[in-house]
Amino acid sequence: MASEDDIVQIVNGFLLNAPPGEFMEVVTDVRGLLKNDALLNETAPATFREYNTEQMIKVASPTGKHQVLITKYGELGNGEYLDPYGKQVLTFDHIKGEVTNHRALGSGDITQEVEPYRKAFEAEAFKYQNEHYENGATTVYGSKNSDGAFVVTTCISSSIFNPQNYWNGRWRSVWTATFSGSGECELTGNIRINVHYYEDGNVQLNTNFNKAKKVPGGDPAKLSAAVFKTILTLESEFHTSLEKSYRKMGDTTFKALRRALPVTRAKIDWNKISSYKLAADMK
Amino acid sequence: MQDLLNSLPERESLEAALDLMRRSPYTDVEKKLSNLIDVVPELSSELLYNVDQPLKIAHDTKAKKDYLLCDYNRDGESYRSPWSNQYFPPLKDGVSPSKLLRQLEIDVNDAFDVYRELYYEGGVSSVYFWDLDEEPDFGACILLKKSQDQTKRGQPMKGCWDSTHVLEVIHNDNNTAQYQLTSTVMLTVETKDNETGTVSLAGTITRQEERKVEVYAPHDHLVNIGITIEDMEFRLRNVIENIYFCKTKDIVNELRTSEGAAELKQKKNLPGRGLKVQKE
Repeated sequence: MASEDDIVQIVNGFLLNAPPGEFMEVVTDVRGLLKNDALLNETAPATFREYNTEQMIKVASPTGKHQVLITKYGELGNGEYLDPYGKQVLTFDHIKGEVTNHRALGSGDITQEVEPYRKAFEAEAFKYQNEHYENGATTVYGSKNSDGAFVVTTCISSSIFNPQNYWNGRWRSVWTATFSGSGECELTGNIRINVHYYEDGNVQLNTNFNKAKKVPGGDPAKLSAAVFKTILTLESEFHTSLEKSYRKMGDTTFKALRRALPVTRAKIDWNKISSYKLAADMK
Repeated sequence: MQDLLNSLPERESLEAALDLMRRSPYTDVEKKLSNLIDVVPELSSELLYNVDQPLKIAHDTKAKKDYLLCDYNRDGESYRSPWSNQYFPPLKDGVSPSKLLRQLEIDVNDAFDVYRELYYEGGVSSVYFWDLDEEPDFGACILLKKSQDQTKRGQPMKGCWDSTHVLEVIHNDNNTAQYQLTSTVMLTVETKDNETGTVSLAGTITRQEERKVEVYAPHDHLVNIGITIEDMEFRLRNVIENIYFCKTKDIVNELRTSEGAAELKQKKNLPGRGLKVQKE
């Protein structure tokens, strides 16, 4: 008999695994399973927040024309999220799924020292995102780690929702550059893709890729250019390798599971099926 | 939160459970199904019946051959092998098809053993028949399973194909019968390497079909069932190939374009590309 804690954990598991664009459908399903709304009322708010920040959902800035990503990297607490480009802090209601307030950046909200680098990275990020992620948005954060090194984090989130044609997808990239002054920069990246196709079935693509590379240091302009040149190269290599994997999976693995036709290159003559067997036995 | 919840449509528990499973990644479906049953234990039998899970293999120690497990060859905790017609673990008076139907079952199993070898070049097949209320009507399920693990050969790819075909056969008076078929293929293909990290393509596709066949003798069913299943798998394989390896890839390429937007725009504006495309 599952305890209430077990049930909470199971329910959260289902919610957090909701395919892009289908979170509310999964909430509706989970609600239909539970005897009453008490459990959801209590635990779901935290799960909504976890899901949205993990998925790095995109919201429109209430003040400018740009998009902002809601991520863990920009989380200030109390529902507040950094929008460095817009020089503001947004209040995001995870349950309503909307921006409910905004205010100007306070002195404690960002690390001024890192700003020259963060701005330079951000300019490169916008260029890169415009080139390769038409349906995406990017938000770039700057901070210092416990060793005093500068950390600039670039988040890219690109999603398409097409429920009328029974599919949804999201691509998430997070690139973290860690460096001290003009010393060598350690660049680490994570790329995750989720695609769900559900017409008369349920097919999902899930990928998870990690990469690290050292980039020579420099001033904001030099480093940001070098980092984004590297990001372009690494992401392009990944994208090309993924295409290659697709071809291999489709040609080799899929065929090794089940041929399109027997070696005879024709469908079976079922009236003569026993003769096929005799022929095989005689091999 | 309550306001949001109140604004959602009401979904009855079985419908909600099935919808949930259809949105859940198919990888580790058994664990997810068991979790779901923990939440709604009263739906346990319906869920086990309706949710597609990878087929389990058991060994018939008498016939020395593997066979596949499903609800249709289960009686209590034991499963009947189509090769020896015996239950493992042994069961006294376990459910089995009538004598005439068992003879057809033997022949169809032998035929699908050949089918399996021709198309799957390995794997396991099993066919189970059961009598329906009105003689000579019957039900049949045809199961096929094939796994491939190329990781040992240095290619970090593995996959598994599971087919479940459930057929209902209702006879008419004029030497014809109605075949009602529901087919599901569960397919998982995974790869893990330095260039792409972990990539998993997994899921299920279901199709249904009805056809009228001619039956002059019981043995005609063997040919009819063979053709029906072969045709259905032909269709399903094409659909799967298209969805798994083309459609999902196309979606990835819409999420991120390998070529830059500027490059793509240039390509669109090349001379000779200005021709209007006729709408079909």
